[in-house]
Amino acid sequence: MNNTMIDVVLTGELAEGISFEQACATVEKLFKLPAEQARQLLETAPRVIKRGLDSETAEKYRLTIEKNGLKVRLQGDADTAAKSEVLAPETAAVPATAVTSAVVAQAPVEAAPAIARQETAVSTTATALAPAQPVAATDFAGLKFRIDGSPDFGFLTVQLPPGQMLKVEASAMATMDTNLVMKTKMKGGISRMLSGENLFLNEFTAENGPGEIGIAPATPGDLIHRYMRGETLYLQSGAFVASTPGINIETKWQGFTKGFFSGESLFLIRASGEGDLWLNSYGAIIEIDVKDGYVVDTGNIVAFTEGLEYSISKVGGYKSLFFSGEGFVCRFKGEGKLWIQTRSVGAFAGWAGQYRPTKD
Amino acid sequence: MKANIKGGHAFSYVEVELAPGESIMTEPDAMSSMDASLDLTARFNGGLIKGLLRKYLGGESLFISRFHNATSTPRSMTIVQPTPGEILCKELNDEVYFMQPGAFLACEESVKIGLGFAGFASWIAREGLFRIKVSGHGKVWFGAYGALLEKEVNGEYIVDTSHLVAYDPSLRLNLQLAGGLFSSFFGGEGLVTRVSGKGKIIIQTRSISSLAGWLNPKL
Repeated sequence: MNNTMIDVVLTGELAEGISFEQACATVEKLFKLPAEQARQLLETAPRVIKRGLDSETAEKYRLTIEKNGLKVRLQGDADTAAKSEVLAPETAAVPATAVTSAVVAQAPVEAAPAIARQETAVSTTATALAPAQPVAATDFAGLKFRIDGSPDFGFLTVQLPPGQMLKVEASAMATMDTNLVMKTKMKGGISRMLSGENLFLNEFTAENGPGEIGIAPATPGDLIHRYMRGETLYLQSGAFVASTPGINIETKWQGFTKGFFSGESLFLIRASGEGDLWLNSYGAIIEIDVKDGYVVDTGNIVAFTEGLEYSISKVGGYKSLFFSGEGFVCRFKGEGKLWIQTRSVGAFAGWAGQYRPTKD
Repeated sequence: MKANIKGGHAFSYVEVELAPGESIMTEPDAMSSMDASLDLTARFNGGLIKGLLRKYLGGESLFISRFHNATSTPRSMTIVQPTPGEILCKELNDEVYFMQPGAFLACEESVKIGLGFAGFASWIAREGLFRIKVSGHGKVWFGAYGALLEKEVNGEYIVDTSHLVAYDPSLRLNLQLAGGLFSSFFGGEGLVTRVSGKGKIIIQTRSISSLAGWLNPKL
């Protein structure tokens, strides 16, 4: 019998594209908890939701929970050997899949029975899955954050641990703790100014303890988060909202044909490195997996991964170029991810502009 | 009075059902649709002088509309705000509540709408010299551009001046620079409000000045 004692820890981090609200709903469903308790469980994460499992069962838990967009961490027996010793009699008495008493050591007393109840629910789902492959447990290093008000007026709240720094687009800070100290940095020089981004970036550092910052972009629309693990992302100028110091932000010349003739900025922002990155747009954001080719109006691109090749071209012939209203489009080739926005700034300016009073 | 807020973050509206004999006070032009049998009277917002003060100092309108159901069956109406954004309801229970100029939308007749001196700091922050003070019993509806979030303050918290919508009277507001002189100018943050005390604040997730800053160069 495999006797290793593994704890399953709900880290409280969310997978990309999962909002806090969605996560709450998932926890609610998965653990059959009342909404209030589900929220509490997530807010007080990281929390141990299951203790003293053998590696196979723990792996099943991890798979089930991560399938639903939440992150868990498996704590091995090495560092918790002493704890396992204490728990051993209990776990030995009860079959591993139905451990109820040793579960929520850190949980408030009133939440304990409910969570314990739902453990069984998890195990049934877990066993229903195909036998799990043992995978190395990974640690999610990102910061804790939540996005409210999506998709109309997305608002980002990030929790900064002591000493942590966050780069934020100029004038986007809406609220913050008094622990945070702001410094303004000039970034990227002239090319950054030309890219349509503000020349300045603000750096917020939690100097005297943990701190919270609320970030409100200027445009009506959504926010997305991506945890970067060394990959590269190209962002439309203006899409950058915030990032951790590990992310390198540079401007990249698109070339005259790609930039100038498409009516868009001549520059793209190149983001690479490891850490959290948040983007915003005007309108809601849709994620698209590109396998072959995909065509997007130049005004609707938010960001795309490095693997994609792109070129600017007309949709149809010259007649449709001028009269269909479609103009130039961006053709993507290759494999990767693409984020598009459901509204375009140019179209909005054109629509709103006609109602402005004319100067005589 | 039955009232529901609908329409999501972006285009909130209030659906009100007035029982026989009930009435509701709203900002002028806030009514978007109503049963034909409701009576509308416009009156000065707290008398002519006070109304004028409120108009010029509090950013509110001189008149206020009163919708009254004089029939014997419930009648309904819908109330909207001029900006895209969310509407919230605050139920007053013999207490005072402060709102930034322009946030007030409607209230039950039992609620008193007043004007409070907000201090010169608030004026320098372009938030106006005065703030709306609602008191008494009953429901108050208010809204702003953007989604609205509630935040519990215990101790001190910093809010960008254009994002504060409403707050408990137990909180004190002070003005300060966002960072050093250089940062405050070039970082685009400028002045911020330091909220201190214990209570709840409501913030709007968008500000009209940043919308204008984003849109104007493109028009």
